[in-house]
Amino acid sequence: MIKNLKKVLPVLVLVGMVAAWFQASESTRRYLKHIGKQVPYLPYRYFI
Amino acid sequence: MSDYDVIVVGAGLGGLTTAALAAKSGMKTLVLEQSDIIGGCCSTFEVDGYKFDVGASIVEVIQPLERLFEMLGGKISDYLELIPCDPIYSFITDDGQRFSIPTDIDETTELVKRIAPEDVEGWHRFCDKGLSMIEEMMDAVMLSPMNTFSEAMQLGMKNPQILKFAPTFARTHQGVIRSFYKNPVMLQSAAFQSYFAGAPPELGSGVFGYIALSEHLGIYYPRGGMIGIPNGIAKAGMDYGLEIKVNQKVEKLLMENGTAFGVKLENGSEITAKLVVSNLNAQVTYLKLVGPHNLPGWAVKAIASYSNSMPCPMIYVGLDKKPDLEAHHTIVTSSLESMNDVWNNYYKMGIIPETAMSLVCWPTEADPSLAPEGRHILNFLCNAPAPYAPKGDNWDRLKGWYKDAAIKELETYVLPDARDHIEYIQVSTPLDFERRLLHPEGGIYGLFSDMTTLAMFRPRSRSKAVKNLYLTGSSTHLGGGVPTTVASGIVTAKYILKDFG
Repeated sequence: MIKNLKKVLPVLVLVGMVAAWFQASESTRRYLKHIGKQVPYLPYRYFI
Repeated sequence: MSDYDVIVVGAGLGGLTTAALAAKSGMKTLVLEQSDIIGGCCSTFEVDGYKFDVGASIVEVIQPLERLFEMLGGKISDYLELIPCDPIYSFITDDGQRFSIPTDIDETTELVKRIAPEDVEGWHRFCDKGLSMIEEMMDAVMLSPMNTFSEAMQLGMKNPQILKFAPTFARTHQGVIRSFYKNPVMLQSAAFQSYFAGAPPELGSGVFGYIALSEHLGIYYPRGGMIGIPNGIAKAGMDYGLEIKVNQKVEKLLMENGTAFGVKLENGSEITAKLVVSNLNAQVTYLKLVGPHNLPGWAVKAIASYSNSMPCPMIYVGLDKKPDLEAHHTIVTSSLESMNDVWNNYYKMGIIPETAMSLVCWPTEADPSLAPEGRHILNFLCNAPAPYAPKGDNWDRLKGWYKDAAIKELETYVLPDARDHIEYIQVSTPLDFERRLLHPEGGIYGLFSDMTTLAMFRPRSRSKAVKNLYLTGSSTHLGGGVPTTVASGIVTAKYILKDFG
């Protein structure tokens, strides 16, 4: 049961994220895109 | 043996604050300023008897200044006179409504009842939450070092009451104000301040959503112009032996084994110090003063990852007639949606919108001595495309366009016969700001501010990449603006005194 849940959970999270994306307003999507582009730099920015 | 204990590169508010506090603690301190006046963006220059402010136009949230002068053994009034400005703003909306927002909260409540009765309850919630946030976070966050998670956690443990405000930093400016207001005019009145942080309402951090409320604690104008603030800090520092030299451009940092030990000036001379503080933009500090070859790869990647805040051309106007205005600041606003639209469909594309005017400042209302008798000054703070190069054009050529656009809007909203009453008009473009103030791309608010560039994700006040190098000013923790850059100077001084005091 737990094994199955572990397999299904990432899929559910992904489906949830996709659903949230399509429900979000244009403005929210632009914000998420903007933040998404910045996130990879955070580990570097933290130390500078 | 070093020539000085501390060398501060740049006499902006952050640099002067750190320098004055270092001098007070007994450190032999020298400030080197590349231009002929101090203050950086918070300064004033004189032409034909008119005194124009370079950029900053008021001071609000005066607690960091109060704390600074206390730390220097005095009080603000010992060094400068701050004139209260009331009302805070006068608004001209795109549908022609005109109204002014008074400082007094009860009077503002009456105004909200008149223009947006559906938002009275939201306005009360905005006041309750915002005022407690400002009060509880002032000392805890504004004046405390926050370069690392550990420092942030220590702050949180020491002041657990501030933790409830943490989600505000992760929200957007428009998200915060929409949780209080529905009326489009109320939204406009609290949205445009996100541009003060150099970002549109849909991208700026939610914490800037409360700027509209912090202004009700009072906004002030220094008698004699904005240069009164840096002059006051400099005078307080000089009482403790602080030395300030203007027209001294620093070319590079002197370094050995990853440690800063002084500066080399453009004229070739070298001055040594135990530590160096840079008040320049962090990208200029690391990529020009230090140089990429002196930095580890991760540091170059980190500093290059930041973008600059949006540039703001200024238009300085001298008039021989009193303008038809009601307040120190007048804003010609548009809807919250169009504020985002301007960013997405114009600025990001390098296109200048049809209207240049953003904020009109009337400093002679507070201090008539800034202009010859019977004359007035208007300073226009405009927004401009970011990134900085306008598509298919150049800033020097655009000066004429900005002048014409400003005159047209002046005639539409302020003075129908403005053209006949302009005695002086000059434009300062982002390129001028870059040349004069060394702000890359003319971004006078420092680095772009959103949740990924605030607090411990902004360049550290105490450099980790270069030993004995400290940073202060708008590109470090707290960002651009008068109170925040003064606060950044206090934070940097705290690190220095901890390390060397």
